[in-house]
Amino acid sequence: MSLTFDRPSQTTVATTVEALRKDFGDRAVTSHAVREHHSHGEGMRDAGLPDVVVFPETNEEIASIVKLCNQARIPVIAFGTGTSLEGHLKALYGGVCIDLSRMNNILQVNAEDLDCRVQAGVTREQLNAEIRSTGLFFPIDPGANASLGGMSATRASGTNAVRYGTMKENILGLTVVTPDGRIIKTGTRARKSSAGYDLTRLYVGSEGTLGIITEIQLKLYGVPERISAAVCQFDELSNAVNVVITAMQLGIPMARIELLDEVQMDACIKYSKLEGFAAKPTLFMEFHGTDAYVAEQIEQMKSITADYGGSDYRFADKPEDRTKLWKARHDAYWAGMSYKPGNQAFATDSCVPISRLADCIAAAKAEIAKTSLTCMIVGHVGDGNFHVQISFNPNDAREREQAETAAAQIARIAIGMGGTCTGEHGIGIHKLDALKEEHGEAVDVMRTIKKALDPNNIMNPGKTIPMA
Amino acid sequence: MIDLWQQQIKAAAAKGEKLAIKGSGSKLFLSPTHEGAALDTRAHSGIVEYDPKELVIVVKCGTALAEVEKAMADAGQMLAFEPPHFGEGATIGGMVATGVSGPRRAYAGAVRDFVLGAKVIDGKGDHLSFGGKVMKNVAGFDVSRLLVGSFGSLGVITEVAFKCLPLPKAEATRVFEMDSATAIEAMNRWYAEADPITATTWVDGELYVRFAGAAPAVNSAVQKRGGEALANDLDWWRDWREQRHAFFANAKELHRMSCKSTAPVLDDMATAIEWGGALRWVEADEANAAKLRYQASRAGGYASVWRGGASTHASAAQSLSEPLKEIHAKLKTSFDPYNVFAPLPLGEVAR
Repeated sequence: MSLTFDRPSQTTVATTVEALRKDFGDRAVTSHAVREHHSHGEGMRDAGLPDVVVFPETNEEIASIVKLCNQARIPVIAFGTGTSLEGHLKALYGGVCIDLSRMNNILQVNAEDLDCRVQAGVTREQLNAEIRSTGLFFPIDPGANASLGGMSATRASGTNAVRYGTMKENILGLTVVTPDGRIIKTGTRARKSSAGYDLTRLYVGSEGTLGIITEIQLKLYGVPERISAAVCQFDELSNAVNVVITAMQLGIPMARIELLDEVQMDACIKYSKLEGFAAKPTLFMEFHGTDAYVAEQIEQMKSITADYGGSDYRFADKPEDRTKLWKARHDAYWAGMSYKPGNQAFATDSCVPISRLADCIAAAKAEIAKTSLTCMIVGHVGDGNFHVQISFNPNDAREREQAETAAAQIARIAIGMGGTCTGEHGIGIHKLDALKEEHGEAVDVMRTIKKALDPNNIMNPGKTIPMA
Repeated sequence: MIDLWQQQIKAAAAKGEKLAIKGSGSKLFLSPTHEGAALDTRAHSGIVEYDPKELVIVVKCGTALAEVEKAMADAGQMLAFEPPHFGEGATIGGMVATGVSGPRRAYAGAVRDFVLGAKVIDGKGDHLSFGGKVMKNVAGFDVSRLLVGSFGSLGVITEVAFKCLPLPKAEATRVFEMDSATAIEAMNRWYAEADPITATTWVDGELYVRFAGAAPAVNSAVQKRGGEALANDLDWWRDWREQRHAFFANAKELHRMSCKSTAPVLDDMATAIEWGGALRWVEADEANAAKLRYQASRAGGYASVWRGGASTHASAAQSLSEPLKEIHAKLKTSFDPYNVFAPLPLGEVAR
């Protein structure tokens, strides 16, 4: 079985846009600038413009848009903050982009139950700012200040995943608008049960291809009594990697442990004006817990880093120092982008069994060494997940081709080591071939599910699941 | 074995017959119906891959849970969701298919949170692989987790990869005499204050709290909270997990209520509390059951019969809206177009 989609006729599009204008007035926008802004994420800007961008404010409004599109067989693409990396937002067949930014209310905060319910347009920074006074926080932090709807749809994770998990472990339930325009709720306030299949897990990470996530019930965590961040530098990348592997095997409950190679560190020092660091392989770490627990974790880590020739620790205990450090880490992508003026960059997203991590990073570096390109490595190495950011000149077709070939090869190396082509960025349009390579026949079942739940293939068509 | 099962499934599909997937039968009491020729998962047994350094174990469906736990304990590791066996020969396949987690669930995560990947034979007889054996994988739909708690309705789960965690260095259980309301408040507050808690149970006027982790952290928590030490703590928690505690033995009709963790206790029904307040075991007769279900829905959750009463599944099925029922049916058909496997599970699933 294969999926198909034909670009709707210009008349159909015009009629739909007219109907949306009538219902939404100036909240249905067709200007080129707005459509262009909604046609890509932070990845490669190979734009494919939607025909119209609509800014709904309620679940019911979204349902009405989707119903209209389903009748007219017009694609629907959900847009949060536009920070996805794999072409998730590109309107391959035009269609209606639903911008969820006006759905930015925090609907409930249940401090005692450690959960909250938010609309999909709430960003992770907004949520944390608004719940600060409750002594709670939401830990998942992809680099960008993404919307929680987008983070749910792409099953995002971040630097805290080792300790707090990723979106999939932190979502209790969802409200979803189905492709036929109905509003459903999955999961309940009760975090430990649901009737029937675990549909929440199916929608989380479906990249807008099964429905539009409009509300999310999220777990929250108490802000730990003590948070301590530390930086340790190494002469050899492999030593830094081995420190992480050892820490994971000992079960040290690191809140964060992030690797930057010497090139990435150089870029970050320059971009974020970090002082007192060398351009060397580096680990950024953070410890959460009670005073006693944090002190114990730091002692354990110090003995491991000493075994692998790590430097003395530089601590950042004051909130502003920690913020600066993690801001620099989160800006690694932008640091990489600006490392060579005029260049663009994109990032691979391999995740491998942790014992293969050092090998996989070395093999990836060797792959780039075959080209004339610059690359830098940053990773949530506690999970076996790392990104090779490949920098290239966008005006040089040969460089771009080299970069794309190398990225595909790096994904293949990871799959060959028993890993995956994507640990957190998702499939979008750029990794459809890798998905087939990784999952084989299982992709047929995914396609069957897509066909069953979205028979007209209007939900973000051409993404996530290969059409054939 | 896989080949044989594929043939068996294809033959059943061709003839319009059903197959009953079954392991040791330890959790059959949770399963609504079982018709057709048996497909005994225990014929496909063994640990496929276990290198403790990887923190991953790959196991065939018919492997005894006890065997897996023994291998992991020998390497200083565990399945962190502390799965109940409910019977001697409990299998890994049954554990995943029912999705039942134990006392550590509220603190470490559920079965599904530790499933990294799974292989399954669908109703067409195709052997498929979802997810993998790495810690994070967002390639395509998250089907391996959809299989958790699917009660064999989507296919024969043949192999599962789990994330392993190291056993805690230190563990101590303290007992506090307190009423249920105080206990619920304490469980929630202590956890929010980042105590290294891995299990909580309130039963018969006593709150049992298990602290675990690095020795200094456990010691400081124990000093801070006080309480009495529980001597035979390993046995106590094992008995509680396996529901061999007197509370379970004495209950005639036991209901399981899943709710928000701060929900108040229903004073007129015998209750035990675990998972930081989010799971309640309630003894209720038929007359009380409706009231319990109403209270559960007010507390944002469900209540359903666990043992000894009418089918758990009928009551919970009513809670699914029409569009949700349709989605369930479509998913079922996507995997099992010829209805070879058990029908859709609409019961409350203890995830």
